[in-house]
Amino acid sequence: MHDHGSKEGATIRDTNLRKILLIGNPNVGKSALFGLLTGTYVTVSNYPGTTVEVTYGNAVLNKARTLVIDTPGVNSLVPMSEDEKVTRDMLLSDRSDVVVQVADTKNLRRGLLITLQLAEMAVPFILDLNMDDEARSRGIIIDQEKLSLLLGVEVIKTVAIRRSGIDKLLKGIQHPRPSPVEVRYDDAIEGGIRDIAALLPEANIARRAIALMVLSGDESLKGWLHANLQDHIVTEIEGIRQTTQSRFNNSLGYLINQRRMKKADEVLAQVLSLHEAGKGSAIAFHIGRWSMHPVYGLPILIAVLYLVYQFVGVLGAGDAVKFLEETVFGKYLNPWAAKIVHFAIPVPFIQELLIGDYGLFTMAITYAIAIVLPIVGFFFIAFSFLEDSGYLPRLAVMVNRVFKIMGLNGKAVLPMVLGLGCDTMATLTTRILETKKERILVTLLLALGVPCSAQLGVILGLVSGMSGLATAIWMFTLLSVMLLVGYLAAKVIPGEPSDFVLELPPIRLPQFTNILVKTLARVQWYLKEAVPLFILGTFILFVGHKVGALAHIQKITDPIVVNFLGLPSRAAEAFVIGFLRRDYGAAGLFMLAKEGLLDPVQIVVSLTVMTLFIPCIANFFMMVKERGMRTASYMAAFIFPFAFLVGGALNWLLRTLQVKL
Amino acid sequence: MAEIRRILGVEGQAGHPALCVLPEIEKEDELFEIIWTLREDGNLSLDQIFQNCTLKDCEVILKDLAKTGWIDIKGQAVELLPKGDKRARELVRRHRLSLRMFYDLFALDGAEAEACKFEHILSPEVTDSVCTLLGHPPNSPDGKPIPRGECCAMFRQEMKPLVAPLADLVPGEQAKIVFITPGSHSRLDRLSAMGVVPGSIVKLHQKKPSYVIQLGETMIAVDKDITKEIFVKKV
Repeated sequence: MHDHGSKEGATIRDTNLRKILLIGNPNVGKSALFGLLTGTYVTVSNYPGTTVEVTYGNAVLNKARTLVIDTPGVNSLVPMSEDEKVTRDMLLSDRSDVVVQVADTKNLRRGLLITLQLAEMAVPFILDLNMDDEARSRGIIIDQEKLSLLLGVEVIKTVAIRRSGIDKLLKGIQHPRPSPVEVRYDDAIEGGIRDIAALLPEANIARRAIALMVLSGDESLKGWLHANLQDHIVTEIEGIRQTTQSRFNNSLGYLINQRRMKKADEVLAQVLSLHEAGKGSAIAFHIGRWSMHPVYGLPILIAVLYLVYQFVGVLGAGDAVKFLEETVFGKYLNPWAAKIVHFAIPVPFIQELLIGDYGLFTMAITYAIAIVLPIVGFFFIAFSFLEDSGYLPRLAVMVNRVFKIMGLNGKAVLPMVLGLGCDTMATLTTRILETKKERILVTLLLALGVPCSAQLGVILGLVSGMSGLATAIWMFTLLSVMLLVGYLAAKVIPGEPSDFVLELPPIRLPQFTNILVKTLARVQWYLKEAVPLFILGTFILFVGHKVGALAHIQKITDPIVVNFLGLPSRAAEAFVIGFLRRDYGAAGLFMLAKEGLLDPVQIVVSLTVMTLFIPCIANFFMMVKERGMRTASYMAAFIFPFAFLVGGALNWLLRTLQVKL
Repeated sequence: MAEIRRILGVEGQAGHPALCVLPEIEKEDELFEIIWTLREDGNLSLDQIFQNCTLKDCEVILKDLAKTGWIDIKGQAVELLPKGDKRARELVRRHRLSLRMFYDLFALDGAEAEACKFEHILSPEVTDSVCTLLGHPPNSPDGKPIPRGECCAMFRQEMKPLVAPLADLVPGEQAKIVFITPGSHSRLDRLSAMGVVPGSIVKLHQKKPSYVIQLGETMIAVDKDITKEIFVKKV
């Protein structure tokens, strides 16, 4: 389950505040509304699946202290994903005072599908028609009073990003009501509902709604049923479900949705009027279309990647890192720290632990703050921009076919792109993928072939000294290795690939403040999650250095490096370091090349091996955390020998063919 | 067994039972349908037939059918003999196709009475044409399977079907979803939560590099395989 264990969230939840639950489809502006209500702006995302975490916020609304809860976007309250389950569980288990359903006005049809489910649950709620401006510009007008009359609940119109309609919303929140609207299902289904409802315990939501979830084949409800009912009753309920299902060819979930949709259409027909569309969104519309065009889509993709590279690679990894590392840390912080430590702690061992070559401050903190943080920070800005613009799902459309080869679908492009920023973080986001198989595949591919931005910086430094052909060979090797490994791993790893069904939100111009706050939240996350792992990694390195393990490992790898890869003995040192930090290794190679100890073939070979390594020890810990010790160990046991193998093969090939680089 | 009564067109219209005035041969047809449907549900027995049969001379006709080699009755066990099986299959096929036709083409829900008349009129050739026209639908609107005909087996469709997979549309074309034959239940559940249900108007936005469909203001990228399972009628 999700760990929404932010301290605020935990403490806030315990109190007896008035609780408001925001619920709605993905991309309807829930988070923007949340920001308006609470004053703290939190993640607003365009990519379905990124608002995995539930956000809590305190506010004084209508003179009452209130807890506002922002839930993950849902398409249905019968969960199809972990996100949807979180939202449903909040309705089922936590009693809230008001539910505010946020709907995208231009997409009311889908919103109503949720409205009808809230009505079935008999929870008091109000309906907020958000993004009314977008709907109007498309010529879609909703008769709000009529809708309110039909549904029997308050209906409010807002444009959250412009703060419009908030006063009315605050007023509306004071009058939530359960909606009397009822959807009638097929007789057989109604019978099933009756029979199941009779067996269910008292809950926060109406039994009829729970019975419908059961009938829809909601596996995620099993835990709740078992917690609240005796086993034989759960079995009996499942029996009723099966009997009811056996009367239909189609799944009950589908038939139930179909009937709800019909009802939604009936309601919609009475409140919706279409007028001539304005031209406001024409440019965004065309950008959206071109960005997934089979021909124009590709140059756009390359242009986007190039801009991201310029921003992250050149500005972030270049200028910002240089400033922080050389000036801030090199000239000030590290010398200061050294002075303080020498003065305060006269024990040489601890001194070395803190400020030595593998010192926790001089290496771990310098590393995490001076080098990785600016790169990751810049990357987060770029990524948040792309995310809010709605481009990322279109990127998924562009690459879907290539990813299919690797047993994945276009959705996997998100963690992969994120991996170009930080593989450790990207490994964490593999959670958005639907099946275990996909999560394992992406974790493996990230560890194997996606160079992170810190590393890319050094690699690109090396590459700039190489010929175009050498660079092309490196990239080609990397991409084909990823395709091949992905293809084979997809065959070996059990499980089914998931369907590619991805909603594409409209292209929007991201809001600056939104990007900033989102980036800050992510940087905070990075500091909390990743920095301890850097410290741990450095500590292991320190211990290894102290007991002489590093020299020992170097001795073992030496023959492989010299004989098999055809590299100078000193490259082994870079690899050992690279084992712990892929980019430190790359930096080691950089030094070797600078000193003229590597010929072009050696540069390409060593660079390839280094890129194929697991990025850093922090990444490995994240793999352990997300996939478990066993899977992570298997991956490591595969990746390291495999990286050498590919390097050896490449060396042999280039030497045999006598390629001039 | 509301299902069967509905198929016979005797449900719902209060005070108007059996809408088809049945000549002898049509009475036989009704029995064949009852037997077929009961067999589908796994409930086929003599008692069940009597229970579901609204005809007065049910027993007599059954015996006749047994005598003439259509069916076999042993105690409670009833079995369709090969020629009886063929006849029942064709009847049920015609009936359910007719239902489908009224539902899809004329948007008439609950057209059982009409279907009931139609099933006796349709010739084999016309039946296959209707089937092709409708895109060889696998289910009747109430979800019961439509027995396959020869036309369904033929891959090449000589007659341009009115109902075709969404994948066959030209990008930019708009159509109404008629039915969906999902590869998996969860796939259908997910799509239906996004508004992809029969009756929805859908536009094929593009095919390359991935299929993208549009429903109202919702754009969804989907696998090609999925668009092959969504059957639409152009509007």
